[in-house]
Amino acid sequence: MGMQSCRRQLFSIPAHARGLSLGWSFLSRAVALSLLAGTTAFSQSSAGKTSPTGPKPALQKITVYPSSIVLGSSRASQQLVVEGTYADGYSEDLTAKALMQVESRSTVRIEGDRVLPVASGAGTILASVGALKTSVAVSARDIEQRPEWSFRNHVVPVLTKTGCNMGACHGAAAGKNGFKLTLRGYDPLADYLVLTREAVGRRVTAREPGRSLVLLKPTLLVPHAGGRRFGVDSREYQVISQWIAEGIKPPQDGDRRIEGIRIEPALVKLRPGTRQQLVVTAVFNDGYMEDVTSWVRFESTNAGTASVDDRGLVELKGSGEASITAMFLSKVAVATLVVPFQQQISRDRFEQAPRANYIDKLALAKLEILNLEPSGPCTDGEFIRRAYLDTTGTLPSIDAVKEFLHSGNRDKRQALIERLLASEAYVDYWSYKWADLLLLSDNKATSGNKKLNPAAVRSFYNWIRASVQENKPWDKMVRELLTSTGSSRENGALNFYQIHKDPIRVTENTTVAFMGLRLTCARCHNHPLEKWTQVDYYKMANLFARVRQKAGDTPGEIVVVNAVSGDIDHPRLNKALPPAPLDGEEIALDSPQERRQILANWLTSPQNRSFSRTIVNRVWANFMGRGLADPVDDIRSTNPPSNEPLMNALVEDFVKNGYDLKHLCRVILTSATYQRSWKTTPANVNDDRYFSHYQARRLPAEVILDAVSQVTQVPTDFSGFPKGTRALQLPDTSVDSYFLDAFGRPQRAATCACEREAQPNLRQALHVINGETINQKLSSQDGWIAAALKRNLPNPEVVEALYLASYSRYPTESEHSEAVRSLEAASAGKGPKVRQEALEDFAWAMLTSKEFVFNH
Amino acid sequence: MFRFDADKPVHFCDGYTRRDFLHAGTLGLLGFGLNHFLSLKAEGAVPEDNDLNVIQLFLVGGPSQLDTWDMKPEAPLEIRGPYKPIKTNVPGIEISEIFPRMAQHADKYALVRSLYHTAAGVHDIGHQIMQTGRLFQGGVVSPHFGCVLGYKKGGRGAVPPHVLLPRPIGATGGGLPHGQDAGFLGKTFDPFVLNADPSDPGFKVPDLLPPEHLAAIRTDRRRDWRKLVEKSIQELESVPDARLYDSTFHQAYGLMTSARAREAFELSKEPDKVRDSYGRNRFGQSCLLARRLIEAGVRYVTVNMFETVFDEITWDIHGSRPFSPISCYRDLVGPMFDHAFSSLLDDLGQRGMLQKTLVIATGEFGRTPKVNPAGGRDHWPGCWTAIFAGGGIRGGQVVGASDAIGGFPKDRPVSPPEVAATIYHLMGLELETFLPAQLGRIVPLVDGNASPVRELLA
Repeated sequence: MGMQSCRRQLFSIPAHARGLSLGWSFLSRAVALSLLAGTTAFSQSSAGKTSPTGPKPALQKITVYPSSIVLGSSRASQQLVVEGTYADGYSEDLTAKALMQVESRSTVRIEGDRVLPVASGAGTILASVGALKTSVAVSARDIEQRPEWSFRNHVVPVLTKTGCNMGACHGAAAGKNGFKLTLRGYDPLADYLVLTREAVGRRVTAREPGRSLVLLKPTLLVPHAGGRRFGVDSREYQVISQWIAEGIKPPQDGDRRIEGIRIEPALVKLRPGTRQQLVVTAVFNDGYMEDVTSWVRFESTNAGTASVDDRGLVELKGSGEASITAMFLSKVAVATLVVPFQQQISRDRFEQAPRANYIDKLALAKLEILNLEPSGPCTDGEFIRRAYLDTTGTLPSIDAVKEFLHSGNRDKRQALIERLLASEAYVDYWSYKWADLLLLSDNKATSGNKKLNPAAVRSFYNWIRASVQENKPWDKMVRELLTSTGSSRENGALNFYQIHKDPIRVTENTTVAFMGLRLTCARCHNHPLEKWTQVDYYKMANLFARVRQKAGDTPGEIVVVNAVSGDIDHPRLNKALPPAPLDGEEIALDSPQERRQILANWLTSPQNRSFSRTIVNRVWANFMGRGLADPVDDIRSTNPPSNEPLMNALVEDFVKNGYDLKHLCRVILTSATYQRSWKTTPANVNDDRYFSHYQARRLPAEVILDAVSQVTQVPTDFSGFPKGTRALQLPDTSVDSYFLDAFGRPQRAATCACEREAQPNLRQALHVINGETINQKLSSQDGWIAAALKRNLPNPEVVEALYLASYSRYPTESEHSEAVRSLEAASAGKGPKVRQEALEDFAWAMLTSKEFVFNH
Repeated sequence: MFRFDADKPVHFCDGYTRRDFLHAGTLGLLGFGLNHFLSLKAEGAVPEDNDLNVIQLFLVGGPSQLDTWDMKPEAPLEIRGPYKPIKTNVPGIEISEIFPRMAQHADKYALVRSLYHTAAGVHDIGHQIMQTGRLFQGGVVSPHFGCVLGYKKGGRGAVPPHVLLPRPIGATGGGLPHGQDAGFLGKTFDPFVLNADPSDPGFKVPDLLPPEHLAAIRTDRRRDWRKLVEKSIQELESVPDARLYDSTFHQAYGLMTSARAREAFELSKEPDKVRDSYGRNRFGQSCLLARRLIEAGVRYVTVNMFETVFDEITWDIHGSRPFSPISCYRDLVGPMFDHAFSSLLDDLGQRGMLQKTLVIATGEFGRTPKVNPAGGRDHWPGCWTAIFAGGGIRGGQVVGASDAIGGFPKDRPVSPPEVAATIYHLMGLELETFLPAQLGRIVPLVDGNASPVRELLA
């Protein structure tokens, strides 16, 4: 049943819960971006009809990957992939069918799908599939020199690939069974010392490598709690045993250092059911290159579309787009595999789909690449309801619905959008949203030891509200929040520092809230998968080290000043580091520059793409039900948006328009993409991320409660607030409300979009069926139902009014007649009490129905 | 059709069989699947399995080890406190005189006298540690043991997998989370919280029953009419959350209409003698309710002995107001626990449920070995005693030992992750697994590769 199936869903850990945030490699990023920018290449090449069932189109050309091959030692062995491209734009891994030869056997030779060195020199590989031919140059260098495995560049990747140094094993902070490696090998020297100096040298035995514990344990020749990690005949064994035999060389300063990794093919369109081998090449600072495909950790961002094994062989399981991330040492590269949905869709569906602005052009381009049908436009009733709910968190009144439905004005949707953006309810709704983000709450849990005093809650809220009211540009708002000084009584933004008292909290919450970046790992050690080190972390945190606050004259007031001295120490180095934003210029510890200004300049700079991407993604998710990047506050190159060109265009437009949030809302609301029907077609029913249809979703807790209050015309009583205050007008989340808690109101304890729960649960259902919240509103003597009874409103009008108020539409003829018939049957001739009960019950049915509780 | 207020005798006299058949019929017409309901009824709504169940009695406030289950009669007066040890039915094991009934059950439970934690002696923190196995740090809010069980195994029949009685722990001074929900697993796996006092004369489960003014026929009509207005939006079924929304209604009606499930909450079905034996107080009746819920298929029941430590007589014997004096152990708290715990073991034993039900009783920490100037004892996480009984436990023994003043473990120290490992192991969960946390992390089921406390296992 529900609970069971849901449990199963959650059991498979979603991609966002599985992987830690990842850094990026400039190499692959550049490649991927340039290719993605040219996505129209796909549509051009598939200009004809997509015909999955017809005869296979002709093979047009073949390409060999990697595109340049350097064999840098006698041990080098390069995996080759021969990729075919068809007339319809699809690619296919044809390596198994290809014939590969070398021109000069004196330098290199082919063995299966690999090329191996023979002697230093240049050569050419010739590949052919049928009549198609291609060639790729290969050079072999230093083949005559004695090869050596490097601890830094070979042994550590082996330990990482085989999982020895992962968090669950010896990479745990406390190690495992007395053997502790650094997490994913971030500190090779420490690992070297642990391997060679501890355990009385038994881990590594120079004279007889095979007796080293580091080989005996993972091969299970002696018992190993971690099980068998590799075999005696494996390449892994070979690397470690040869490294030992070669003299147990430590990592040295002069070791070549990784500069980046390249994954190929980086962007291809493939058919479901096929397989694709990926090739990963590491590029080092001295120009040396190496095939590291076997040593890379691969991960798929969309396992439903593509799964990848630990040798880089991808299986295309279903349609959609998957990014395969490859991680090697500290570097990450991403390959994008596009698997169009295999269905017949007339090109007209794309060509004739309405385009209101650039969003539609780019969203439709994506749909066309993936062969996903766009749903048709939503009805006027659906539009007014969703536009109200998404923009203001309120339902339109009956009058507003009627007027909108009856209006013949061709621009009525645009006019409605403008009215909503200018409304007071817009201010309520977005103030509440930013108060969520800024953790505005008097919960102790959010503010350390001290409660945010009610006056402080109020002043912080007022600042947020005033900012929304004047549509303060987002960069300006964030800058004020981070750089202000003075009294919190005069400037409510300062309460930010009352909630986040120390540099650690400010740093971590600021980066998540405004850059979608989770730095927390780097607080205690180098970020295991991102490029951020603990040094980066404390340089950044030190930018907040000179914020001083003292109690003001009134309760809850603080005064924030910039101190002229004071630093936060790096805990392991036991000293303060020169302050610097991530990847930014550092300043001297004794520099008189205002540190928070430096931080704010860097954060809000147009060059800081994560800043604008994060807010654009949050606003997009508000209207579209899902971020372009998902989760909404996880912005990194290894969690790419589902439509990169669209994300880029939105960001560019947002920055160009001065970080204007209303402009952003307007562009989204105006788009035909937003105005699509929630109803799916057989050709887009499986789409949950490319916006081929509006994504129906349960409304937020506060919105449901306010909507019930609005339809029944019985406001909720929030203790301490004036009668008629709506849930969305509450400054914080400390007001007791069983309903709001049951429906997943966030505590505002952690900066994470995951705090808000939007999932239905049993407690909600029981409360809705039997609880007092809705039942009291239905039976209230001051509500709409009581008034309807008093006015003796006939059933047909009652039904119509309830449909307009709850669903923002007229009932269909059959809905109307069935409802009226049911009400008549239940109450005809039976007195006012019976009729009242019937109306209550009918209203209950509507207010708990999916059409009411779900935005659609 | 369903009036079944727990405080009143059952309103229908023909038993529940026919009624529920009728109901199953109605539900079938509504598309809920008649066959499924019939089959559920036929087997008494509780699918059989061999999984162990758990009743965790949370002794909020933190019992003093020295005045309860780890007496030090040889220690100086300011250490040993006012109470004397008594013999139990297991030679060599002595406990405090405030537990005369418990003394007759010592063969059924094991005392772990060397439990400790190293975090701050704050109530809230101890609550987290003793119900999730770890301190909440870095934004990771860990799930309660029972929520993990629900997440891993799902529910049995119409009842939820994890029920919390009678209410969640409220304010205990730290203002921190108490570790009684599903944390990062998401609210889907939160326990079903009773939110009522089972010893109240008017006790009933919040929202389990329609409000007084709502006649049964109206509940049915509402369900019918909801179905009616939903007809035009059936396409929403393609949205997973919409399906979940419907299934929660299905579960709710299942809970409301399953005689087995709803009767579990009806303490009035118990003979007075049984109700009296548990003690006619909130904790005693919660323990009795816990037994009924386990019987009805609930996997894990958490009972909070108290809801706060302020202005209430609890284990939190600082000696001065608003806290409790040591004497309350003899006058109130001790007997309350003695009755409820002993009756629970008796009752489970008589019903053949004890070997399938693990019963754990522990507080969030112990108390200072030295009596303070106010005549009480303060917080002390350095060492205290936990009680394990029932399924999978070898009773009649003491595991570990404290030093001469009960200040620190002397033998076999037991850490909270080991307690967690013991519980999870007995629940049949694989220890070397991970849970998906928020903020993109995975969290091991137990911290520090902890192993079960082997000495405890039968």
